[in-house]
Amino acid sequence: MDIATTAAWKSDKREAVKEPLLQVRDLHTHFFTDSGTVRAVNGVSFNLERGERLAIVGESGSGKSAMAMSLIQLIAYPGKLVSGSVKLDGREMVGMSESELNKLRGGSIGTVFQDPISSLDPVMLIEDQMVKPIRMHLKLGAKEARRHAVNLLERVGIPDAERRISSYPFEMSGGMRQRIMIAMALSCKPKLILADEPTTALDVTIQAQIVELLKNLTETTGSAMMFITHDLGLVARFAQKVAVMYAGKIVEFGTVDEIFDTPSHPYTQSLLMTIPGVSDGQRRRLLQIKGFPPDMKKPVVGCAYKDRCPAASERCRLDPPELAEREGGHLAACWLENGLRSGDGGSIEAMLGEERNEPFASAGSGAANGRDGGREPSAGEAADVVLRITDLRKSFRKASMLPWKKATEIRAVSGISFTLKRGETIGIVGESGCGKSTTARMLLKLEEPTGGRIEMNGNTQIVFQDPYSSFNPKMKIADIIAEPLHVRRIGTREERKERVRELIQKVGLDIAYLDRYPSQLSGGQRQRVGVARALALNPTVVVADEPTSALDVSVRAQIINLLCDLKEELGLSFVFISHDLSTVRHISDTIAVMYLGEIVEYGPAEEIFVHPAHPYTKALIEAVPVPDPKIEAAKKLSLLKGELPSPAHPPSGCAFSSRCPLATPVCTEKKPALQPYLDRREVACHAVS
Amino acid sequence: MEQEAIAGAVRQQASTRGSKPRIPLPFLRFLYANRSARWSVIILVPILLLTFLAPMLPLQSPLESNIRASMSSPSFSHFFGTDKLGRDIFSRTLAGIKVSLFVGFSVALIALIVGTAVGTVSGFFGKAVDRIIMGIVDIFLAFPSLLLAIGLVAIMGAGTLPVICAIAMADIPRFIRLQRSLVLGLKSRTFIDAARTVQAPQLWLMSRHIVPNTIAPLLVAASIAAANAILIEASLSFLGLGILPPEPSLGNIIKDGQMYLQKAWWISTLPGGVILLIAISLHFLSDGIREALDPRARK
Repeated sequence: MDIATTAAWKSDKREAVKEPLLQVRDLHTHFFTDSGTVRAVNGVSFNLERGERLAIVGESGSGKSAMAMSLIQLIAYPGKLVSGSVKLDGREMVGMSESELNKLRGGSIGTVFQDPISSLDPVMLIEDQMVKPIRMHLKLGAKEARRHAVNLLERVGIPDAERRISSYPFEMSGGMRQRIMIAMALSCKPKLILADEPTTALDVTIQAQIVELLKNLTETTGSAMMFITHDLGLVARFAQKVAVMYAGKIVEFGTVDEIFDTPSHPYTQSLLMTIPGVSDGQRRRLLQIKGFPPDMKKPVVGCAYKDRCPAASERCRLDPPELAEREGGHLAACWLENGLRSGDGGSIEAMLGEERNEPFASAGSGAANGRDGGREPSAGEAADVVLRITDLRKSFRKASMLPWKKATEIRAVSGISFTLKRGETIGIVGESGCGKSTTARMLLKLEEPTGGRIEMNGNTQIVFQDPYSSFNPKMKIADIIAEPLHVRRIGTREERKERVRELIQKVGLDIAYLDRYPSQLSGGQRQRVGVARALALNPTVVVADEPTSALDVSVRAQIINLLCDLKEELGLSFVFISHDLSTVRHISDTIAVMYLGEIVEYGPAEEIFVHPAHPYTKALIEAVPVPDPKIEAAKKLSLLKGELPSPAHPPSGCAFSSRCPLATPVCTEKKPALQPYLDRREVACHAVS
Repeated sequence: MEQEAIAGAVRQQASTRGSKPRIPLPFLRFLYANRSARWSVIILVPILLLTFLAPMLPLQSPLESNIRASMSSPSFSHFFGTDKLGRDIFSRTLAGIKVSLFVGFSVALIALIVGTAVGTVSGFFGKAVDRIIMGIVDIFLAFPSLLLAIGLVAIMGAGTLPVICAIAMADIPRFIRLQRSLVLGLKSRTFIDAARTVQAPQLWLMSRHIVPNTIAPLLVAASIAAANAILIEASLSFLGLGILPPEPSLGNIIKDGQMYLQKAWWISTLPGGVILLIAISLHFLSDGIREALDPRARK
C-alpha cells in the first residue's frame, strides 16, 4: 500500500461515514501443500460499502472461498494469509491477535456456510449454540440472551421459535437449519455477513425463501453482505455488486446491471453465454469455454485467462492486466477495452467464431422429434414407443422396533405413468424427495417396483449425478468403459478394446485418457466417461440423473451439448432428471413435474415453461432465479409457504394442498386426478380443470 | 479444443515429474518419502539380513551347548552372552527371530485372507448371513486374544503350526469386523450401482469393486496383527505353550532366562529388547502404509 492511500485512509477516518465498510488490498493467500504452493488468492483488492450486497462469482478453484475465509482469517491448514490488508471499519485485521479476531468473528462479522447440516453441532441444543455467542459478544444476561435468540429465530421465519429453540439440529429440516445459521450469523448485529454458497444444498423453493429472507434482513438491519455463489441466476436476483473471480484474482467488478448488460472481461462475457437462455425458446448450442483454468501451483505469466481467451494477444502473454476502470465506472482486468466485443463489429459472436449461434440441425427429423411433428398416427406411435410406464408405484416399509406397532409406509412413487418415444427426451423435475430418483432407480432395475408396469423396448443405461463417486477409483478408464461389455461377455478382448476406443472418442475425449485413473480427470472429463460407459451397451433409453449439477457452469454447457449431440446422432431417448429447470427446458421435449411421488403436470416442455398451469409448477418456475437482473427485478415473487411434507404422512386430498396458494376445502378432501388440459397437456389440480 | 486439453494435461503431468529423484518402484518411493516407514526399514532390514545370513556367519550353532562357557556375560565371542547350557544367545536370538517372524507373517496372512473373505460375504449379503457371522464373531471377540490363543493351543497342542493356527483364529474376527464395516460403506457407493445396472454378478462386484477398495486399511491392520502375533507367540512360548524347546523362539529364550535374572540379566533382557524393536518397527511400518495410502493423513 502506498503512502497516498494511507493518507487517504487517515483522512477518511475522521469522517467515518464515507469510508467503505470493508477495504481489501492486495490480499494473497497460499496453500503450502506437499506438491507445491497453491496460490489460491493472488492479489485481491476491493471495497465493500455499508449495507451493500456483493456477490463473488467464479468456478470451483477460482479462490472465492479461500478469499472469504482469508477475510476472517479462518484458513484451513496448510493455507496461510501471506500478505495484504483487510480493513473493517478502518481497523486493520491482518496481524490482529487471535483473541481480537475472535471478538470480530461472530460479532461484527457473521458467517453462513454452505452446508447447514455440518455447520451446527449435532449434540448441542440450538439454544446452547446460539445463546453463548450472544452473551459473549453483546454482554447480555442468560435470560435476555435467550429472549434475543428467540426473537431472531422468529425473525428468520422459524415457527414456534420459543419451543423450537430447545431442540437438536437433527430435528430440523435443511431449510430450517439454514435459517438457524442465518439467525446465528445475525445474532450479534454484524456489520458484515459472509455467506459461502448459503443455498446450494437446498431445494429451489426453499432457496427462494432463504434468499428473500437474506435480502430483507440486510435491508432492515443495514448489514453488508458478501455472498459467494456459482449460480448466476442468484447473483441477478440478489446482488447489487458483483466480483468475478478467476485464478485467484478479481477479473471484473461492477454493479449487477453492468456485469450482465455490458460485461467487459472475456471470461465474464463467455460465462454468461454458457448458461441456457431463459427467454429464447429457440435451442442453440451453449457456448463452451475451451481449455482448463491454469494450474495455481505455477506462477502465472501475463493474464491468467490468456490460454482460453479467443482475443488473447502477445501483450496478454507477457503483461498481467490490472483492474482498470471501464465506462460506467466498473472495473475489468483486460487489456482490451471491451473484451471480446473489441473486434470488428463489436459482437461477441464474431470473436467466438461460428460455434455459438447455430441451432440444432435436427428441427423436425420426422417422427424422431415429437415436438414439431405434432400428433403422429397411433399405429406409428406404438412402434416408436421405447418406454411405457403405467401406474408405477414404490413404497418403502419401515418396520417399527416395537412388534405391535404398525410399520410405517413411505410412498416414494405413487402411481405415475408416461410414455417415451424414440429420440425424445422427457424431463422429470421436482424437489428432493418427490420420487424422481426412485423412478430412475426403478427404470434401471436397481429397485423393484411395488406396483405398476415398466415396458421397455431395448435397454436402459444411466449417467449418474456425481462424477466423483460413480467410478471405482481403483479401475482405469478403459476398464470402466469396458465393464458393461465385459460383464455381459460381449465380444473378444480385442473387439472390446476397439469398442472402448470408439466410445471414448464419441464423447470427445482422446484415447490417451484410457490409461488414466478417474482421479486424474477433471469433473467434466469424468462425466464424459460416465456417458461413454452408459453408451457401451447401445441403450435405447439413457437416464440422466442430475448429470450436470455437480459440475461447474462452463463444464455444464459441454455436457449438455454432448447429450444433445448424442441424442441427434444415435436417436437416443433420454429421461432427464434435474432440479435445474433451465437445463431441463433446454434439453427436454416433454416435462413431468413431480410432487410427493405423483406427476402433477405433464406436457410439452416449452408450453409448460411459458404457461404453467399447476400452482406448484408456477411456483417452481418462479422460484428459479434467472440470470438476468432486469427480469429478476421485475419478478413479483409469490413464494411457496412451508416445506415439503413428509412422504410418510402426506396431506389428505391433494398432496400440494398444504402449500398451495389456491387451496380450497375441496383440495384437502378429494385428490385431483391427472386430467387432460388444453391440447396436449395433463394437470392434476381442482383449481385448473 | 480437446487436443489443447490433452496437451495441457500432458504438460501438467510432465511438470509434476522430474523434480524428485526417480526411484522405480512406487513402494520404495513411499518408503523413501515417509518418515515412519523409513525408520521401520532402518530397523527391520539389518535384523532380517542378520537372521537370514546367520548360518553363514561364524557363530556358534543355536543348538550347540558348551557347558564350560555356561552363563558367560556378553563379550566379543558371544555378543549376547550364553545361557545355562552355554548356548550362544545371540545365535539363538537370530534363530528365534526367524521363527517369530514366520509366525507373525503367517498369522497376518491367514487372518487377512480368511477375514477378508468372510467379512466381504457378511457385509455384502447382509441379512441372515450377516447376523449369523456377526454372532459368532462377537463370541470370539469377547475373549482377550491371548486367552483365546492359550485355550486353542491347549486343545491343539504346542508347536509352530498349532501356535500359528491359534493366534490366527484369535485375529480373524477382528479382520471380519473391519472388512464388514468397510464393505458396508462401499456397498452404497454409486459405482456399485453403476455395475448393478449392467447386471454384473455378485462375485464380480465383490472381487472387482469391493475388495480392491478395502485393501489399504486391511494391509495396515495386517501389519499391526503381525506385530501382535509376535508378542502373543512370545507370551505363549514364555508360558511353555508355544514353540517347544530345544527349538529356540524369542519367548522360550526369555523363559529360560527368567530364573537367572539376577545372576545373568542378559539371557532374558537382550532377546526381550529385540522383540520390542521388531514390534515397534512393525507399528511404524503400519503407520507408514496408512499414510502412504491415505493422502489426508500426509503432513
